[in-house]
Amino acid sequence: MNVDQVLNVLKAALGEGLAHTEVRVRRVGVKAPVELKEIWAEIDRDAIVPAVAALKALGPVHMSVISGQDAGERIELLYHIAVGYGTEGGEVMVTLRLAVPKDDARVPSICHLIPGAETTEREKIEFLGVEFVGIPDSRHVFLPDDLPVHPWRKDEPEMGRFLRRMVEWEGKDG
Amino acid sequence: MAEAENTFRIPIGPIHPALKEPVRLSFQVEGERIVGVDIRTGFAHRGIEYMGMRRNLIQVLYLAERICGICSVAHPIALTQAVEQAAGIEVPPRSQYIRVIISELERIHSHLLWAGVAAHELGFDTLLHLTWKVREKVLDILEELTGNRIDYAIPIYGGVRRDIAPDQYPKVQGTIRYYRGLLDELLDTFLRDPSVEARTRGVGVLEPEEADALCAVGPTARASGLAKDVRQDRPYLAYGELGVKAITPRDWGLVPRGDVYDKIVVRLLEVGQSLGLIERALLEMPDGEITSFPKIPALLAHLKKAQGEGLGWHEAPRGEVIHYVRLEAGVEEPVVWKVKAPTYSNLMSWKPMFEGQEIADIPIIAASIDPCICCMDRVHIVRGEDETGMAMEELLRLSRAKTQRILTGNG
Repeated sequence: MNVDQVLNVLKAALGEGLAHTEVRVRRVGVKAPVELKEIWAEIDRDAIVPAVAALKALGPVHMSVISGQDAGERIELLYHIAVGYGTEGGEVMVTLRLAVPKDDARVPSICHLIPGAETTEREKIEFLGVEFVGIPDSRHVFLPDDLPVHPWRKDEPEMGRFLRRMVEWEGKDG
Repeated sequence: MAEAENTFRIPIGPIHPALKEPVRLSFQVEGERIVGVDIRTGFAHRGIEYMGMRRNLIQVLYLAERICGICSVAHPIALTQAVEQAAGIEVPPRSQYIRVIISELERIHSHLLWAGVAAHELGFDTLLHLTWKVREKVLDILEELTGNRIDYAIPIYGGVRRDIAPDQYPKVQGTIRYYRGLLDELLDTFLRDPSVEARTRGVGVLEPEEADALCAVGPTARASGLAKDVRQDRPYLAYGELGVKAITPRDWGLVPRGDVYDKIVVRLLEVGQSLGLIERALLEMPDGEITSFPKIPALLAHLKKAQGEGLGWHEAPRGEVIHYVRLEAGVEEPVVWKVKAPTYSNLMSWKPMFEGQEIADIPIIAASIDPCICCMDRVHIVRGEDETGMAMEELLRLSRAKTQRILTGNG
């Protein structure tokens, strides 16, 4: 598997849905350094399902994790998906970045394509208040189901107080 | 699922492992058979990522070291690589090899710890004592090299904090010789023992298709025959040059079945693989600087100016660790810090492993993905409104009684 193959299938599958791509290179090794390339792509919210389907058709996929951030007006999600495990240096790390507006924080779930993505999608529900449409199980993973706040959201008025209470034993964030 | 009249619910936990993910397993059983399981985590969620996003990066490194007490170098290695990518920091060659050596020593100690736990769950306490006795040797060498038995505090952004001195080389080589001499005996005691085989063959099976679909990592995935190892797939540090190949039961001449036995095979063979990696790393390690920022204030100043994002990964003893970091210029703390530990990925693989198995096999199956279940202390059997406490000791007793039955031929 190489970066060009992955880029080509993403372009073919997404068309307009692929807003921007960037290949980042990291030099790996000491005596005979090689270049390890990663793909960072920005996609539309609805392009996540075709994007993952395209990657899955290309080779064995591994859903590492979804990371995310409250970026003011929007919530940004980053899907870190590795494609093509099983061969030496043959896996390409792809990061798909998408943003959803806060007042309509919904993203199609990719669990029907990669069942193993469920844990990390559920984690984003509790931490960022994102709704994954079509997820088989939307209960919380780490936090109590009745927790009133989403810890990584920066705009909830109750949150500061709540989180300070949570960490006050530490005496540093109070 | 509609519960049949003879279906019981057995919640186990909350398990309190030393990891970020403690687990409560709620089983549905019919007689002795497990027909379903529900998994809940988060009973000791510490909000480490949240804390990290309020501290400067040096402090975050200390936090990362304390995410897991057993693979305590795995998280700093992933974090330093993420930050180094985000801030454009070079890592001197020698320090890359030192990171590899400490990581592989950690893998040996973690796998031996697990092997002892597995033996204990099955009721072979002599084997537990043997493996934990020989594990001391690797903790001794880690203490010699880093000053600590765990939490080594070795990786720092741009290098490592301590060099390995030439007079320490023979000690490391001595440790390698010690384990080389022992490994055959360990493989023999675990893998050629008919009672170990009777308790672990066909137990807790994870089919390769399931392992792939559920994104299993580490020995859990490799025991099912997937050649999935971050050191091989996405090389980092000096691993590309050392040439790591993912170990599956095929390396022991077996067709992978994905059961507990195969997980023992993979972990024990990986101890041998780590010995080879340490030996070669020690031999090929170039001389030179061990960090590109000898002074912490200079490092902090550089990090404060840095703008960017990065990913760092590492094959911890339990599987893939991955960290995502975003830095903004002028801000000391990371704007985003996402940590993914191996058990997070392996959680969902528990389900197919438990289904269809016996209650007496719960301890060994739970242990087979290598979560830290040391503090799993109690079990409740719930039937309607009646709630009966069932101690961990009781489960262990069941598991051991099963071994006894097999040994005496009454199984």
